[in-house]
Amino acid sequence: MIRRVLALARKELHQLFASPIAYVVGTAYVALTGIYFFQHLVSYNQLLFVYQSEGLTGGGFDQGTVPSHINVLNEVFVPAADDFGLFLLVVLPLVTMRVFAEERANGTDELLLTSGLRPWEIALAKHAVTYFFVLLLLAASAIYPAVVVARAGLGFEHLLALYVGQLCYGCAIASIGLACSSFTSSQIVAAVLGYSIPFVLLDFAWLTNTVSEEVAARLHEIALLSHYGSFPRGVIELSEVVYFAGIAFLGWLASLTSLELGRAR
Amino acid sequence: MSARIEAQGVSKRFGPVVALDAFSLEVAPGEIFGLIGPNGAGKTTFIRILTGYWLASEGDVRVDGVSVTRERFRVQARLGYACEQPKLYADHTVDAFLRFMGEVRGLGGARLRAAVGLSVERMGLEPVRRRRIGVLSKGFRQRVALAQALLHDPALLVVDEPTVGLDPAQQIELRRIIAGFRGTHTVLLCTHQLHEAEAICDRVALLDRGRLAALATADEIRVGGSLEALFLARVGREPAAGVVP
Amino acid sequence: MTFLPAAGLVMILVGVASYYATRSLHGLSAFSGANLALGVLLVLAGAAAQVRSFRGFSGAASRRVALRALSVFVAGLLAVIALDVAARRSTARLDLTVDRLYTLSDQTRALCAELDTDAGPPIELVFFEDALLAKDVRLLVAAYASACPRVAVRDASRKEPPAGARDLYTTSATTVIACRGEVCDPVGYPSERNITSALLRLASERVPRVFFLVGHGEVDLASQNDNGYSGLAALLRDQGFDVRALVGPATAELPAEADVVIAAAPERDLLPVELALLDRYLEGGGRLLALSEPALRSNFYSDLLLRWGFDLEDGVIADDATSPLLEDPTPLNLLVHRFAPYNPVTRTLSRRTMVLMPTTRPVGLARKPQPDDRLERIAFASERAFVDRDLARALAGHGLARPADAASSEPPVAATGSYPRGEVDPATDVAAREARIVVIGDRDFASNRLLDALYNRDLLLNAVRWLAGDEARIALSDKAWTPNQDPLTLQQTVAYFYFLAFALPEALLLLGIYAWWRNRA
Repeated sequence: MIRRVLALARKELHQLFASPIAYVVGTAYVALTGIYFFQHLVSYNQLLFVYQSEGLTGGGFDQGTVPSHINVLNEVFVPAADDFGLFLLVVLPLVTMRVFAEERANGTDELLLTSGLRPWEIALAKHAVTYFFVLLLLAASAIYPAVVVARAGLGFEHLLALYVGQLCYGCAIASIGLACSSFTSSQIVAAVLGYSIPFVLLDFAWLTNTVSEEVAARLHEIALLSHYGSFPRGVIELSEVVYFAGIAFLGWLASLTSLELGRAR
Repeated sequence: MSARIEAQGVSKRFGPVVALDAFSLEVAPGEIFGLIGPNGAGKTTFIRILTGYWLASEGDVRVDGVSVTRERFRVQARLGYACEQPKLYADHTVDAFLRFMGEVRGLGGARLRAAVGLSVERMGLEPVRRRRIGVLSKGFRQRVALAQALLHDPALLVVDEPTVGLDPAQQIELRRIIAGFRGTHTVLLCTHQLHEAEAICDRVALLDRGRLAALATADEIRVGGSLEALFLARVGREPAAGVVP
Repeated sequence: MTFLPAAGLVMILVGVASYYATRSLHGLSAFSGANLALGVLLVLAGAAAQVRSFRGFSGAASRRVALRALSVFVAGLLAVIALDVAARRSTARLDLTVDRLYTLSDQTRALCAELDTDAGPPIELVFFEDALLAKDVRLLVAAYASACPRVAVRDASRKEPPAGARDLYTTSATTVIACRGEVCDPVGYPSERNITSALLRLASERVPRVFFLVGHGEVDLASQNDNGYSGLAALLRDQGFDVRALVGPATAELPAEADVVIAAAPERDLLPVELALLDRYLEGGGRLLALSEPALRSNFYSDLLLRWGFDLEDGVIADDATSPLLEDPTPLNLLVHRFAPYNPVTRTLSRRTMVLMPTTRPVGLARKPQPDDRLERIAFASERAFVDRDLARALAGHGLARPADAASSEPPVAATGSYPRGEVDPATDVAAREARIVVIGDRDFASNRLLDALYNRDLLLNAVRWLAGDEARIALSDKAWTPNQDPLTLQQTVAYFYFLAFALPEALLLLGIYAWWRNRA
C-alpha cells in the first residue's frame, strides 16, 4: 500500500514539474509576495521616520516616542500575511485544476483505476503532492520574512507560527480545488469552481446585511478568514488547526467520493 | 498460469440506453478469445466491467471464481489491461512509466527491475526505453501499453483494439506476440479486425447491440467460410465504415 | 457542466471579488449584489436541471456503491463538524511570540486566583468585536477567558455598548471594557497591563491612599508642564490608588489611612513638627517614597532620611558610557540598567529594561537605626560612572571633574529600607508592623516628560506597590518590545527586493520555459 501511494506520489510530482504551470505559479507567487512584503516594509520605515522625527532627540522605541503597537509585527508581518493568503487563493486553483481533470480528460484515470490502485490511495497521493507544492511555494516566499525576522530578533518561532497558518490555509484552498477538479474532466470548469468556492467561503461579509445575526454568526464560524487571524500574530490555536485540517480532509473525502461515484455511473 | 472468465447475464444501462443486454460467456484458461462487433456493440463496455472500471447493472463477471463486482481489486491483481488508444503518461520515459506501473502492481527492487527488463525485451522496446512516451510512434505506444499490462505476469490479459492505426508490419508483429501467450495466459482480445480475430483466436464471440449474436470456434469459422461471412450473416448488415474485413 | 451553472459561478466570483475590492468605499454595491443574486439563481437552476435529468442508478450494484460513497462523505462531514465544535471549546494553543505576548503573566494569574475566592459578583470583560484593534486583541482577551474562571468575556458591538458602559468616555482604541455589576471601567489601549489594572480596580475592596507631601517646593502634582507630575498622579489613579495632597503644617497627624507618603524632592526645610510627624508615621509602620535631586539641601534629607539610614551625598552622577547612546554632550543623563536582582522593587528590572534618569544624586547608606533593619542599594549607574562633586560647574555644563581615584564606581541611584517595629510574633517571627522607605536620587524620571520613557514607569510603580504592601502586583508591565524594530536599512530592503521580486522569479520562469521546451521537444 505504501509503495503504491509513494509510486503514485512520485508520478504526480514528475507530472507537476514537467508542466510549466508549476513554474509560472511559483514565479507569480514569489514575485507577488516579494513585492508586497517590500511595500509593507517601506511603509513601516516611513511611519517610523514620522514618529521619530517628532520625538525627543534620538527618539524611537527606546525613548517611548513610538507607540508600542507600531512595530514590525503589526505593521509588516500581519498585513503581509493577509496578502500572502490572498495570493495563495489566486494561484492555487491554477495548480489544482489539472490534477484530476487532466487524468479524466486523457483517460489515464482508467489506467489507474484498473491497475489495483484504491481510490483513496489515488486521492491521497494527489492531495499529498499538491500540499507539498504549497509547502514549496511557502518556503520560497519565506526568504524575505526570514531575513527580517533574523535581523529584528522577532524569533523564528513566530515566523513558524505565521507559516504554519499559511500552510493550513493553503492546504485548505488546495483541497477545495482538488475536490472541484475531481468532479470534472474540464480544467476550465475545475478552475472556475476552484476559485468560486474559496472566494465564497472567505468571510461571508457580503451576506451579513441580508441575513439574521444568528445566521451571520454561524457563517462567520465557517468562514476561512475568521480562522486565520491568530497565526500571523504568533499563536497556533488548536481549534484553528482542526478547522483547516477538517477542510483538507473533506476535500480529500470529496475527491474519493467522486472517484467512487464514477464507478457507479 | 491462466485464468477462467465467466460472465453471467451481464447488463449495463445508461439511462434509457442499453449498452449490454444479458450478456453471458465463458473463456477457458489459456484460451485466446476474440470479442468482435460493430461500433457501439458493447465490447468496450464489457471490458470496462470486467476490469472493474464500471459496475454492471445486472449480472456479474467472475475471474477464477472471484466476483468483479464485490472483489475488484483481487480481480485486477490477476489481470493486465491494455486499453484502446493507449492511455499513457506522455511526459514519462518508457522506463519510468513501466517502473511506475510495476510499483503500482506491487513490484519492487530486483523483481521490478527484472519485470521491466522482461517486458521491454518481450515488446522490443529497448531502442526507445529512455525516450519519452509523448514522442513515440503509435506502434511503440501500443507496445508500451502491452508492456505495462504484462509487468506483473497476469493470468489474464485484456487487450482492446491493439493494432488500430498500426502499419501492416507492426500489426503482424503484435499478433505474433499475442499469439505467443496461448496456453500460458488467457487473452481476451477485443478487435474490429475480423481477419486478426480469425488468425489468432481460439474462439470468437460476436456482439451486436449489446447482445451475444454468435459464438464460434476457429474450426467452425473455417468450416463456415470466414469470419466476415459469419459477421454478415449474424449482424445482418454491411460492416460499418472503418471496420477492416 | 452546462452553461447555466458555469455562468452562475462566474457571476458569483465576479460579485464576491468586486465586493472585496470596493467594500472600503461602500459595502455591497448594486453591481456586486446583482452578480451574486443572479449567479446564485443560475447555479440553482443548473442544479435543478441536473436533478431533473438524473435517470436513476444503472443497477442495484451502482446504487449500493453510490449510496455507500455518499454515506461515507456525509459521515465524514458530520465527524469534521463535531470535531470542529469540540475543538472550539478547547483553549489549547502555542504562543510562539518572542515575548509571549498572549500568555498571561504570573501576576495576572495570581490576581485571577484571588478573584476565584472573591465573593463579589463576577467581572465581565466586554470585548468590542468591531473595534479598530479587535483583531490584535482577541487572542489576549481569550487568554483571560481561559485563565480566569471568574472573569467572563462577552462579545459586543461598539454601536450597542452594554448599559454600564454607555456613559464611559471611550476612544477609538477602546476595545475592552471591564464591568462588575453596574460598575464599568474602560481599559483604554487593550494591553495586558491595562486590562489587569482594570480588573484590579474592580476587584479591590479597599482603595490604597497615596499622599503627596506639598508646601516645601515639591514637584507640583497638578502641573501638566514637562516637569510636572500630573502624569504620575493619573498613572497612580489608573492603577487603583487614591491620590491626595498632604499639606504640611495644617495636619497634626498623618491620616491613618495613608498607605504611602511620597515626598517629591522637597527643596525647603520641613518644620520640626513636620519632621516629627513623619518620624512617628514611620515608627508606626508607615511607608515613604523619597525623591531627590542634586543640590537640594532640605533637612528632609540631612535629618530625616539620614536618621533612617540614607546618606544622600552631595554631587551629581556622570556616566560617559551611556551618554553616547543618548547623543548627550554632557553625560549627566543616566541609562540605569544595573539592579538588585532579588529586591522586590527591582527584581523585574534587568539590563534589557533600562531607566532614564537625568541629573541624579547618589544615594548612599548610613548607619541603620536598629540592628534588625535592612537597608539595600537597589539601582546603580554603570561601572564607568562617577560622582562629580563640583555641582555648580557640572550642572552649568562646564565639563566634569572625574576624581583621580574614581572611588565611586557603580554609584547607587536608589535604595530601600525595611524596618520591623513592634512586638515580634514568635510563631511567624514577623514584627507587628514594618516601616518601608524607598529613596531615589532623581525626581525628573517620574515627570510628565519622562514618565513614559523606557521603564521609568515600572520602577516608580514597583516602588509604590512595594510600599503599599502589594508585592504580588508589582511590575504589571506590558510585554517588552525588545527586538530591534528597525531591522533593515533602505539599501538592504531594496537588495532583498531585487532578489525576491525579480531574480528568484526569473530563475523559476527560466526553469519553467526549460520544462516546456523539453516537453515540446
